Amino acid sequence: MKHATTAGPIQHAEESVQKWKENGGRVVGYTCSFLPVEVLNVANVLPARLRGTGVSQADIGDTYFGPYICSYPKCILQRAGSGQFSYLDGVIIVPGCDSMRRLDECWRKAGEDFQDIVPDFFFHFGVPHKAADHSKAWFSSEIERLMKSLEEHFGVSIGEDDLRQAIARYNQGREMLARLNDFRKASVNTLSGEEAFALSVAGNLMPRDEYTRYLGEYMDEVSGRKPGLYNGKTRLMVAGSVSDDLQLIGMAESLGGVVAAENLCFGQRHEGDLIGEDEDPISAMVRHYLDESLCPRMMGGYQTRLQFLKEKIEEMEIDGVIFQNIRFCDLHGSENAIFERDLEAMGIPCVRIEREYGALADTGRLRMRLEAFMERMT
Amino acid sequence: MISAGCDIGSLTSKGVIMENGRIKATAVIASTNNPESSAEKVMNLAVEKAGMAMDDIDVCVGTGYGRDRIPFVQDTASEIVCHGTGARWLVPGAMTVIDIGGQDCKVIRLDAGGQVEKFITNDKCASGTGRFLEVMARVLGVSLDELGTFSAGTMSPITFASTCTVWAQADVIRHLNDGHPLEDIGAGINSAMANRVSMLVSGSKPKPEICMTGGVSKNRGVVQTLEKLLGSRIHLPRRADPQLAGAIGAALLAQKNGRGGAN
Repeated sequence: MKHATTAGPIQHAEESVQKWKENGGRVVGYTCSFLPVEVLNVANVLPARLRGTGVSQADIGDTYFGPYICSYPKCILQRAGSGQFSYLDGVIIVPGCDSMRRLDECWRKAGEDFQDIVPDFFFHFGVPHKAADHSKAWFSSEIERLMKSLEEHFGVSIGEDDLRQAIARYNQGREMLARLNDFRKASVNTLSGEEAFALSVAGNLMPRDEYTRYLGEYMDEVSGRKPGLYNGKTRLMVAGSVSDDLQLIGMAESLGGVVAAENLCFGQRHEGDLIGEDEDPISAMVRHYLDESLCPRMMGGYQTRLQFLKEKIEEMEIDGVIFQNIRFCDLHGSENAIFERDLEAMGIPCVRIEREYGALADTGRLRMRLEAFMERMT
Repeated sequence: MISAGCDIGSLTSKGVIMENGRIKATAVIASTNNPESSAEKVMNLAVEKAGMAMDDIDVCVGTGYGRDRIPFVQDTASEIVCHGTGARWLVPGAMTVIDIGGQDCKVIRLDAGGQVEKFITNDKCASGTGRFLEVMARVLGVSLDELGTFSAGTMSPITFASTCTVWAQADVIRHLNDGHPLEDIGAGINSAMANRVSMLVSGSKPKPEICMTGGVSKNRGVVQTLEKLLGSRIHLPRRADPQLAGAIGAALLAQKNGRGGAN
């Protein structure tokens, strides 16, 4: 197993995508955790969540998006424009937020200037902001539209039983990720936040069966570790907007903390919530993706999300919470401020960080703030 | 006990030597591009002023952006805890500290015991920092001290549409070319700075008494405008140069903990 370093799972996942492709498999990139990936699994298409990491220039992203917008979709477009996604057989834009919705039009527009960056299968998958009956009906029709489109484009058939099996396959991984958190509990404390997060990010890329196997082997190895490996460290939670790099968590852990929980888009949120396997698969997916979402894009769910954080803080014995959001993220930026207000009022120390997506910039000031935050709790 | 604090900031480096809780000597120099060399220079200067040798210092704590590269410290602590500790020593009743340094602005809320309860730092840009005033003073062709006096000398400060250092600089040049008095432009710059800082302060839910440290607290124009905006008096340190708050805090932590740190 390649997990000698904390980045091992992500590296392994990237290699898996490459191998899948080399073996003639089809890969479709997508942008948001609201995509029912189970559908793609049935179509024998690998859903690989698009990442914008490793970008060192922003000329393409800035040209089509302009400056005052989240840097995550800009980095994705930068990579697309540079030809780094040329291996994709398709792209599904899921408008988790308005910046991500704009990625659809910016990518298409960039396609007029950069050759072959828009694959033939380029699908806009709508997701409602409410979990009301009428929005569920719409989401259901969007899933059906996606299925039909996949069937037509890739010449596959997506049957009900196949969907149930895919749901069971994904549920298995969700259950394992929930169990992975047991290693992070204060009474066990054998898994670092960096490792746990890397494993979660890997799950957004790797073929599902391989991921489940990999996760199982990893957990076997972790269960052999001596309990209390991270005892004596300040127990932290990292929450907020999209993040798929290990550096922020790594920095917090290098300063004497252990990130024992997270509520991040690429990381773990509500992994214990499974999709019903004994009911109509589309209705079950609709319920899971809309009702159980903990993303601030869903209207009217603040109290549920606050309650979730409180329960996680209690269960994982968290000393303090780091809220982070990518600059210009209205959804997380505003919700983080309210979370901070409410949790501080309960005596839970919080710090709020606004940053750019990708490799940590401004590390000097960021480090100073994290260090001062840790000092506050010691 | 002889304790010392060494604060290597982005613009200036500060050294403070204390003997049994009283300041024995201080030094401030412009930071060089090498934190080790800045630290050695400033502490040598402080030691010389105190009439002692480096070996006479029992314990030294480092702080500031360059703290990890100071070769002679026994421990380091963040700017937040050092500035909070230093400000409480400089203004004993302070519960909220506004510290504006060369490249950042921090608001620190302290509890009754002087421990950091909450802090906020600017994370958008440099416009609420000392660098903003420095750039504007240079464009006006006046010293930083003189810039601070402009607010008291005018009844009609110019309103700047932008607090972005780059855009405001262009605005200043335009007003100079239009023949506006220096006092009006300078007072407008001080108000723009105070406005920017007041947003950060208000967001921190400040508790009285409020005090201000850092180089910008020497600018009376900024302080007075900020007092009006916050509707609260701002106490200024009198026991020592307000720029030294971080180094004083570091020296106090060194004395308290023997080896420094935040505990």
